Amino acid sequence: MVTRITQLPTLRIDPAQKVVFDYKGKDYAGFKGDTIATALYHNGVKIFGRSLKYHRPRGLYSLDGECSNTCMEVDGIPNVRTENTLLKQGMKVKEQNVKGSAENDMMGFIDKLDFMMPAGFYYRTMHKPAVLWPVAMKQIRKAAGIGTISPDFEMPGRFEQIFPSADVVVIGGGPAGMNAALAAADKGLRVVIMESRPWLGGFFDYRTVDYRDSEYKKNKQLYIRAKELASKVESHSGIRVFKHASVVGTYTNNLVTGFQIGGEKDNFTERYIEIRAKSVVVAAGCIERPLLFENNERPGVMQVGCVHRLARTYGIIAGERAVFSVGHDLGLEAAIDLFDLGMKILCVADVREDGQNPYLMIELAKRNILLLKGWVVSEAHGSKRVKGVTMTTLDGTISRDFECDLVAASAGFTPINGHLTLAHAKLRYDSHTNFFVADTMPERTYSAGRMLGLEDSLSIEVSGMLAGLKAALECKKFYDAGICKTSDGVANSQESINQLSSEIDTVTAKLKELPGTARGSKFVNAPVKGRKSFICFDEDTTIKNIKQAVEMGFDVPELIKRFTSAGTGPGQGGIPGHNLPLYVAKYTAAKNSSSGSHPKPTNVRPPLVPTFISTYAGRKHIMMKRTPMDQMQRADGGVFRKIGVWERARYFSNDFSCKKEIENVRNNVGMLDGSTLGKFRIHGPDALKALQRVYVSDMSKVKAGRIKYSAMCNDDGCVIDDGVVIKLGENDYYFTTSTARAGSTIEWIRYHTRFDGWDFYLVNLTDSMGVINLSGPNARKVLQKVISQDNDASIQDVSNEAFPFSGYREFMIKNTIPVKAMRLGFVGELSYELHVPSSYMVSLWNMVKEAGKEFNIQNFGVEAQNVLRMEKCHIILGQESEQRTNLLDLGLGFLWDRTKKDAKTIGAAALRHAENDPTRFRLVGFKMEDNGRAPNDGALIVDDKVRGYVCTARDSFTLNEAVGMALVESHLAEIGTRLAIFEDECKGELIYGKVVPMPFYDPDGRRMKS
Amino acid sequence: MVEIKRYSPVSFKASPKRTEIRDNFTVVLEYEGEGQQPFDPSNSKDNYIVDLSHITRFDVQSSNLDDITPFGIKIPQGLCESYLQDSVLINRMNRVQASIFCLPVKKDESSKECQFDFQCSCDSDCKCDPKKSSAYTETTEVGMCMAIFGKNTFSITEKLTSLDFLDPVKKTPFLYQGPMSHIPCQIITLSRDGAKSGIIFTASRGYGKDMTHAIMDAGAEFGLKPAGEDRFKSWAGSL
Repeated sequence: MVTRITQLPTLRIDPAQKVVFDYKGKDYAGFKGDTIATALYHNGVKIFGRSLKYHRPRGLYSLDGECSNTCMEVDGIPNVRTENTLLKQGMKVKEQNVKGSAENDMMGFIDKLDFMMPAGFYYRTMHKPAVLWPVAMKQIRKAAGIGTISPDFEMPGRFEQIFPSADVVVIGGGPAGMNAALAAADKGLRVVIMESRPWLGGFFDYRTVDYRDSEYKKNKQLYIRAKELASKVESHSGIRVFKHASVVGTYTNNLVTGFQIGGEKDNFTERYIEIRAKSVVVAAGCIERPLLFENNERPGVMQVGCVHRLARTYGIIAGERAVFSVGHDLGLEAAIDLFDLGMKILCVADVREDGQNPYLMIELAKRNILLLKGWVVSEAHGSKRVKGVTMTTLDGTISRDFECDLVAASAGFTPINGHLTLAHAKLRYDSHTNFFVADTMPERTYSAGRMLGLEDSLSIEVSGMLAGLKAALECKKFYDAGICKTSDGVANSQESINQLSSEIDTVTAKLKELPGTARGSKFVNAPVKGRKSFICFDEDTTIKNIKQAVEMGFDVPELIKRFTSAGTGPGQGGIPGHNLPLYVAKYTAAKNSSSGSHPKPTNVRPPLVPTFISTYAGRKHIMMKRTPMDQMQRADGGVFRKIGVWERARYFSNDFSCKKEIENVRNNVGMLDGSTLGKFRIHGPDALKALQRVYVSDMSKVKAGRIKYSAMCNDDGCVIDDGVVIKLGENDYYFTTSTARAGSTIEWIRYHTRFDGWDFYLVNLTDSMGVINLSGPNARKVLQKVISQDNDASIQDVSNEAFPFSGYREFMIKNTIPVKAMRLGFVGELSYELHVPSSYMVSLWNMVKEAGKEFNIQNFGVEAQNVLRMEKCHIILGQESEQRTNLLDLGLGFLWDRTKKDAKTIGAAALRHAENDPTRFRLVGFKMEDNGRAPNDGALIVDDKVRGYVCTARDSFTLNEAVGMALVESHLAEIGTRLAIFEDECKGELIYGKVVPMPFYDPDGRRMKS
Repeated sequence: MVEIKRYSPVSFKASPKRTEIRDNFTVVLEYEGEGQQPFDPSNSKDNYIVDLSHITRFDVQSSNLDDITPFGIKIPQGLCESYLQDSVLINRMNRVQASIFCLPVKKDESSKECQFDFQCSCDSDCKCDPKKSSAYTETTEVGMCMAIFGKNTFSITEKLTSLDFLDPVKKTPFLYQGPMSHIPCQIITLSRDGAKSGIIFTASRGYGKDMTHAIMDAGAEFGLKPAGEDRFKSWAGSL
């Protein structure tokens, strides 16, 4: 167990509160505030898992989850980034991707076989002969991969989503980000700040050096300044702070997405965050650029910041004998601070020959710490952990060995500019800072702080302030643009904009007076062959692999990334993101100086930080529509299915053939809930013109007291909808659409009349009216009983003469419930459709049910209706049609009125062309041969080619045979044609049917019309 | 004998304490455990949801909306502006369309009297009485209607929608036509004044059950609880 320092002012752990957790079946303890990784390290666990390909031991490296080294299985969830995950009481932690244990992995021998796995071996080998590939693929997939999960695993926890409103979003809660937030919020704007760590402070949080600027009090340490700023930010009413919240995506028009990990007091495990801001400030800081040397990922090799923060934030001295190999002053600062905390520093190698901060040089000398300028670590020794290192000069001419258990290695810094890249900033390589910097920034987006190359603490703060003011100015301009004026909150006069502009000038001048961007560490890799120098830890990609890719002709980092997989792992390119393009530029330049050597950054894509799918899913509310009869139908045994946006009763028993439901309608009387039909009112002086435009029939022929069935086509003449139209009054109509089209009907009609300037209005009444479909030979008797009370004699008469087929009536039931009644026949029987205000639907349904009791009235569901109407050969759009099926194909040409040319009926021109086209499909009815079973819906009609498909087919109880409808090529449409039907997985055994006249049931329509 | 009743698409898991039959709807005036009575909206720490699906609503459309004066009140001219006068809330939806809500707001009157009982003197071509003019369509049945009010109103709504209810350029009351819990809604922000903050919204009636579930789930951490119409009246009357 590693001893803890428990008295440091920078600590983020509470040593008084123990947290017990389980690691591989054994209890361990950490402290409140520990991450899983720091708690394990504290308990002496140095190897957290094994690598993807070579099964190399991997340990703590960055503390910020920049690679998959510390991904483990936690509470059954694989690939948890234990560096970023706070320890909780009772957690169960396991290593992953091991056969045996992380300490003794039986697959570790693969590391010796790297010579068999050159760059792109997966693509280039094992596919010849082809038969080898499936075998090889399975074995490789078994051996590789990180973590396993059961397909029926249920993610524990509560996952939420939140869409906060903000004017300015600041990405990064370090000194620059906090200053930006304060500057914008002080201008009266709503600011959100998102910080990936569980606290604000960033780069200042763990550092104890003084401000070296006269403006601040002497002896004020950076971590104290961080606390001051954090306190200001958190108490500012205009700033909303999301801590432990990573940004995963930035998009055009300043859409920022991320997720927050819930703390003890939060009622969520994780929550997805989505903000549409007016301005964005990116102050995400930098990460360390890994140093490339042999075994540079061996447990015991860590980034300098990792070693430093382990001590200052978590009280853990990471090793007893340490060697530093760095390329920047922060490395020197860390070595001095860690020496003062008790770490034995054997030497500090600095790749820079000069340019070190003299103050730090003196402090190193005071402590007798050996400083080797122009040196670098070339190899870490030790099979599972670091036991020593070899240091060399940059040219490799001199070397020295050290026995140590810790190597703090860092080649320099690299800005976290994935947020800018995602928002389409164009990056270029800056040779002074050695950073990829944004040449052109996305609109209303600003960056600040270390990612600009600033190292001076005051410069970092002022740059944040400047970015915050610029973001504020953009918001003010937006509010002042005349689009809108503020009423309560933000004063937006031109004067305030001028004032803000002047403030920006002042702060810009102030920033110019402060130290500017620092010279960055140049790209360095130790003078070694690179067989085990890893450029990407996640994918086990080495320098040698990159060389191999270049030798094979790849010269663009983006392609090399794909070919070698470097940067495609869970770390999302964090580790190789900078080194890969720099190395490629250097290596290609060395090979061929004429090809150019300017580093080109690789792309990044969201999510920038690995995110659980469950976090994106959020609360998973399934939003479905329910009809007014929903509860009652469930109580009656309805089996519901999701159909479009609705939940509908599809069956009323577990007999999904619906035999009883069908027979009841054919022989008695049934009731169906048809409330999902689209229902609309269209009114206004030009309502009829609009109807004429969208319907194929002549809608001027709609008569009072009658319904008119018609169809709508698109410009290609393909049928998109059908329904009935009723005239309610002068220039006032009520019409129905199919359930599926209800949501788009208003837009459809508006779109197709957009240039006419017609004066008409549409109201969607779909949900306002419930619909009872009362069908069967006894339907009239039931209706008679329902309306017999409180209505005059003329209304009570529902005889065929008084209320004929295609008739329409309005009446009141018990002088209370208004009903629109239509005489229809979709299922091929005597039918009434009763449209009633939804709130009264239950009452009317109960009345119908009570009236039908003596006839033993029964419910029928959507499937029974489907079979009933199929027997009658009435079509359902989408079932008997697809997007290429036109009105004529379906045999509905009789609906089309060719004479209303002035209406410019949608689809009419195309229908004229299609009228004589022999190549079109035709809808036909068929019966199965030899009393065979019905084929599956969608089965293909074939000969030597596909000639059509089955739309709907069922074993008909009414007809005692299997019948169906199919769309077939016209030469197969003749009565008596034999159809060969191919079904999925029929193994070549076709079944056969024969084209027969339609409809199959009641061809004269007597039952429906009598 | 079937009793004629009207049913709201919304129901809460709470026991009604006082109810009233109105126009065949059973309107809950108060639920058990609703909280302190009389209700003082300005000092309340609680958050409430009220089912208002029974209130009368209209859609009005005309190419010249300026000529239309529902219940004698002018329709706001600005897009998405709303206007609340007494019990009538009018929301300008677009160039030719507005929605009208007849709210129960009069605290001291009985609920029945809160239903708008408008008498106009127009002879013909009436443009102010929804029952006389064809420009109006009653939409009471089209959607469910609910109100959410209390100090955490916008903490609840931000879990359901990305609409910016706190946009400083908007002046209350104002209308949003956008998604809440992915469902198209008309949402009117009536107040953003601390504990008196609140919205009223409608969505397709069919979504009543799932929308209620989603809102109650989002509001659970803020103690969102169902309230009767009386509490709504107290709140609306205080605006």
